[in-house]
This record gives sequence, C-alpha cells and structure tokens, in this order.
Amino acid sequence: MNSFLYGVALQWKLDLRSKSLLVTCYIVPLIFFLLMGGIFTSVMPEMGSTLIQSMIVMSVSMGALIGLPPSLIETYGSDIKKVYKANGVPIYSGLVTMFLSAFVHLMVTCIVIVLLAPILFEATLPTQLPFFFLALAIYITSSLGIGSVLGLTVKNQAKLTMVAQLVFLPSIMLSGIMFPIDLLPDFLEAIGRIFPASWGYRLMLDNGFCFENLWYLIVIFFAAVIICGIVLKKQKEK
Amino acid sequence: MNRAIQVRGLKKSYGSNIVLNELNFEIDKGETFALLGVNGAGKTTALECIEGLRKYDSGTITVNGKTGIQLQSSSLPAHIKPMEAVRLFAKWNRAKIDFTMLHALGVEETTKKQYIQLSTGQKRRLHLALALIGNPDIIFLDEPTAGLDVPARVSLHGQIRKLKSQGKTIVLASHDMAEVENLCDRIAILNHGNIAFCGTAAELTDKIGEKYFIHIKTRQGNSTFETDNIEDTLISLLDELKQKEIHILDIKVDRGTLEQHFIEMARRETE
Repeated sequence: MNSFLYGVALQWKLDLRSKSLLVTCYIVPLIFFLLMGGIFTSVMPEMGSTLIQSMIVMSVSMGALIGLPPSLIETYGSDIKKVYKANGVPIYSGLVTMFLSAFVHLMVTCIVIVLLAPILFEATLPTQLPFFFLALAIYITSSLGIGSVLGLTVKNQAKLTMVAQLVFLPSIMLSGIMFPIDLLPDFLEAIGRIFPASWGYRLMLDNGFCFENLWYLIVIFFAAVIICGIVLKKQKEK
Repeated sequence: MNRAIQVRGLKKSYGSNIVLNELNFEIDKGETFALLGVNGAGKTTALECIEGLRKYDSGTITVNGKTGIQLQSSSLPAHIKPMEAVRLFAKWNRAKIDFTMLHALGVEETTKKQYIQLSTGQKRRLHLALALIGNPDIIFLDEPTAGLDVPARVSLHGQIRKLKSQGKTIVLASHDMAEVENLCDRIAILNHGNIAFCGTAAELTDKIGEKYFIHIKTRQGNSTFETDNIEDTLISLLDELKQKEIHILDIKVDRGTLEQHFIEMARRETE
C-alpha cells in the first residue's frame, strides 16, 4: 500500500512537471473558462445557471481525453513498461497511479471553476453541492476511463492526437454545453449520447442526479476497466 | 544447488524465423557469463526468455535466485528524478536503499536532474542501480556499456567487478570483446540461434587452433604477423629484419584477442 501511495504522489508531482498535462488540465480549461464564461454570460445571461456545469464538462473532457492518454502512451508504448516489469513494479501501477493523479488534477481545476464562476460571472452555484460533487466524481472517473482506453489501445502519439480529437470534439459540441441539445437534429443528438459528456452534464445539473442519467456513466467506466484489464493482461503475457 | 541458471532445449521463433534453436547451457552461482553474437544472433531474445520477459515456444529454464535486470533499451518517465525512481523501485521491491551502492554508481550526484536531462552514462548507471535495488543474486546486463564514453565504461566495469567480488552471478550480453574478455569467466557464442561455442576464453583459443600473433614495432612502423608455427616464423622474421638492417624497438607474441577468435569463429560458421 505504501508503495502504491508513493507511486500516486510521485505521479502527481511528475504531472506537474509535465508541461503537456499542465496545459490540458489547467491552463487551457481555465483560459477557456475565463474567456467563454464572460462571453456566454454576456450574450445569454440565463447561461449563468449552467455555466459551472458547462465549463466543468469542457475541462474534464480536455484533461481526460487529451491530457491523460499521451502520458499512458509514454509508459505503455515504450521501454518504461519493460523496465517496470523487469524490476518488480507491477504493470498495472502506471495506469492506476496516472488515473488517480489525473483525477486529483481535474478535481482541483473543477473546484477552481466552482469557486470563481459565481465571483467573476455571477454564475449560480449548484443547490445540492454534495450530489453535485458526487456527480462530478463519477463523471471524471468515467471520462478518465475512456482516456485510459485510448492511451492503452492507440499505439503512437500521432494516431492518438487524431483519435483523441475525434472523441473530444463531438463530446463537447454535442453534449449540450455549447447550445441546447434539443436544437440538434435527432441523429446528432443520438451521437452526442454516445459520449459521457452529455450524461455528465445532465447528472451535474440541479435535480439531475438520478439513475436515468447515471447508468450510462457506470457502464462506460466498467467497460473501460474490462478493456484496460484485458490490454494489460495481454501486455504482461507478451 | 550450485547452478544459478539452467537452460534446456530453449526454442523461440517469430513466424518462420527461428531465433533460438534448442539452446542448452548452465551458469554456476557466482559466475560471470557472457552471451556473445553478432546483431540478430538472438542474445537479447535469449536473455529476455531467461528473465521471464518474453514467452518462448519450448524448453525449460530454471533460475535459482532473485534477479535484477538491466535491459538493452531502457527508459523512465521523462520528468522523474533519479532518487524518486530509486525510492519507487525500492518500495515496490520492499528493499532498503543501499546508499553505498548509489554513491558508487554516482546516482547521488544527479539527484537534482530529471531523467530527460541525464547523459547516456548517467542513465545507464541509474538503470544498473535500479536493477540492484532488490539486492539480487543474479544480475542480467544487456549491452551495459553500449554508447558510453571511455571513462563511463571504465567506471561501469569497476562496478561489475565489484558485484562479481560480492559473489553475484552476472549474465552479460555484449558486443564488446575486450569487456567480455576482462570481466567474464565463461562465454557462449550465439550464431543463428545456436550456441556455436560455450566455455572459457582459453578454451575458445584452443578450439580455434594454435594461432599466434607476432607484433613488431620498428622505426618504420608497426606490423602484426599471424602464424600457426611460432618458432619458424619468428626466426625467419628476425633474419629478414636483420638482413634489411631494420632496428627492432619492441616485439610481442600473443595468442590473439577474443575479438580475433570471435571473428575467426564467425567466419568458420559462415563457411
């Protein structure tokens, strides 16, 4: 347990030293929040009631889908994995420590958004904060699950950049954070429902924490766990 | 049990390409053993099968003791610092950090640098330190000095000798014949997935034959002569030099380096 906790703490430090993760988990999401928060609430003042949820969906999607996978490829697509395996470091430890570390980074970013949005843009705080944070934790977990699958299954950084964008862009565009989902054509609405962003967004809204909005995120997470487990088992046996 | 490693009938293929063809050899405890071979001979594949990092098709491998492994191509997260890596590996191996060993390998000197900022030599020494963290009985070193400059190479050789003096079993894969000749008790030469030779350097010399090398240094330059008949060649060479009134500055006779024998063996195998 001691070694595992040390691994998580160390990974958190390594993430802070890595410019790419700083950019995808902190700098871009917070700049986006500062710019778009101002624009959204100026153009449509009623967006103040959902601004926190919208900005969080954007931040989590960026950190989980664009930030986490390159770190995983750095470990699992290189000799690092072999060095770990050769010298007694379990092969799963890299994935789990990166997952938990990214979870903490994303949670920090989201807390910053929750704290700043009411002050800067007069955004409305969620009425049931415990449910909101529980929904947020589930949404981050589910999104990181998809990021983990991308990082373990895509073989190189160039391909990953393309695949991650193919997941990230529709996730954001079709989740309902940019414009109401009801305005989308049916097929785009259906595509949007494939990605966890639209489910996470609804789950975090006031009175949105219900099984109807929750089940899909849980299914996504467990599917990701199974896929990652299979990939790691294959890598171990190789 | 005096054997550290026993390999019997080890076979490994990639599709129709047979990389290892029924390898058989043993390594005694405390022995320094080298696997030699040209590129693609199967050294790394053989090592990785023994280390448990690669599946093999058939055969049995017995390893008696805790292992520490330094891979041919190794890497760590770009931003990790050497001591952080040491602590991480020590914790997973439930081992106490041996600061004397770290000091000897110069790992402590690099504590402020991140992995990406280390030189090739510093990286090699760090990976050797990580392989030694769990105080292993058997140490696998795959091309440990590849890409190192002379001082770094000498320093690493010193470390390997120290490990040998501590009674560790060392299995070395290398291209560097001088390194193997200086450090190893026995060698196995791999050729096209087969062991072409297994024994001491002296045994290899005997196998190659009674070949001598005469190195003569004169004011005109240095010359080396290869012969099977040392007596006759030496006499005729000296006569010739005397007739030509060439003054000898130095003369040396040896039975060839391991490199010369290896080249000869590779040539014979090809023929």
